[in-house]
Amino acid sequence: MRRALLAITGLAASTTALVVFKGSPAATQVAQNLPTAQPVNPTPQGVDPAAEPPADATAEPPAGAPTPSVKPSAPASAKPTKSTARPPSTPRTTTKAPSAPRTTTKAPEPTTRRVTGPGVDNEYGFVQVQIVVSGTRIVEAVSLSLPSGGESDIHSDDVSSRYDGTGGEVVQKQSANVNTVSGATETSNSYKQSLRGAIEQAF
Amino acid sequence: MTRPGLCRVEQIMGTAITLDLADDLPPAALHELADDVFAWMREVDARFSTYRPDSEVCRFDRGEVLLSEASADLRFVLEACADLWGATDGFFDAYATGRLDPSGFVKGWAAQVASDRLLAAGAANHCVNAGGDVRVRGFSPAGAPWRVGIRHPWDAMATCLVLTGTDLAVATSGVYERGRHVLDPRRGAPASGLRSVTVVGTDLGVADAYATAALAMGTPGLGWLNGLDDHTHAVVTDDARQYHSVGLPLTD
Repeated sequence: MRRALLAITGLAASTTALVVFKGSPAATQVAQNLPTAQPVNPTPQGVDPAAEPPADATAEPPAGAPTPSVKPSAPASAKPTKSTARPPSTPRTTTKAPSAPRTTTKAPEPTTRRVTGPGVDNEYGFVQVQIVVSGTRIVEAVSLSLPSGGESDIHSDDVSSRYDGTGGEVVQKQSANVNTVSGATETSNSYKQSLRGAIEQAF
Repeated sequence: MTRPGLCRVEQIMGTAITLDLADDLPPAALHELADDVFAWMREVDARFSTYRPDSEVCRFDRGEVLLSEASADLRFVLEACADLWGATDGFFDAYATGRLDPSGFVKGWAAQVASDRLLAAGAANHCVNAGGDVRVRGFSPAGAPWRVGIRHPWDAMATCLVLTGTDLAVATSGVYERGRHVLDPRRGAPASGLRSVTVVGTDLGVADAYATAALAMGTPGLGWLNGLDDHTHAVVTDDARQYHSVGLPLTD
């Protein structure tokens, strides 16, 4: 009985320890994320990499390295509809969070950062993407905002709210009383249809 | 029942070209006009067909013809396609399939040129229908404005809307005849959401390209069409809803 209790307590203790250990870097990460999450301010401070030497006096291995890798992939997932809307000068470099209190000595573990891209407005809506950078690699890209419904999955009901025209059920009408028909007519079926129309008019 | 003018149908560009001349001209003159129209359409087909390895488009695509050596028509079409690529946010893409295929512009453009030439030749009342892309001018043989039906996407023998006018370019792109053949050039995947897109303007080549582009955009294409100042449209979605601009020249 005592042994069992001991065993259980030990297990609980070690689990807690594990969780605490595992959890603590993540917690610091969250804290560290906060500053990076607001590069929305349009002042491009560290545009040219040469101009940012003081930030990384600490032994942070990937100094300015992540920056270039951020650029191409963030817009790719954002799918900006207008290529012009891509502001190339987001201050991603700036917030090289001053190396957080990493107590443990796990040296090779690369730092993970979250970088939020600027909000980009296009005619379909507002797009904002956040990437997760581990060392020099982008490990995840999350869309914080996309035009409602995403790419092509918007239902027509959603569309109608922003739409000047009118909408309703598609109806069928007789096509006898027309001179010609516009349609995506590409096959012999259409040929017959067109021919039929021509004959009707000709005689 | 007799009517003035002449109506002729020929199979060119893999589709039916219908010419309806409504002017009360001597038969010989009408036949000559019609001969010219169809000779032009065959010329366009020979030059721009992507199915003929010896067409100028294919030879240009293979690098056997330089731009400086290309015909004026090909250079015009390439330039127009480049402009339309920009005007459609890249959704009208003559290179969407990986090789040059300006068909989405050429068919409407060819019919537009035919119509322009008829007008210049004194045949101001006519209808040119190139595989569903329609250019009408003046009045029909009945003496009334032309009536242009828009094909019902699920019923080839019915229309869903009827337009009327004396100067209209009406182009329709749909996924019902050839399946989802229109690619979203950005994803390389078939577009979805829209079943049929009709664009109405005064230049059939542009209207054709716009209809193709909007179809490729999928549902967001509706908003894009909505923002066009100089064109009206009618759209049928995959879920059988129909949208059209208020200014569409509808009739019963």
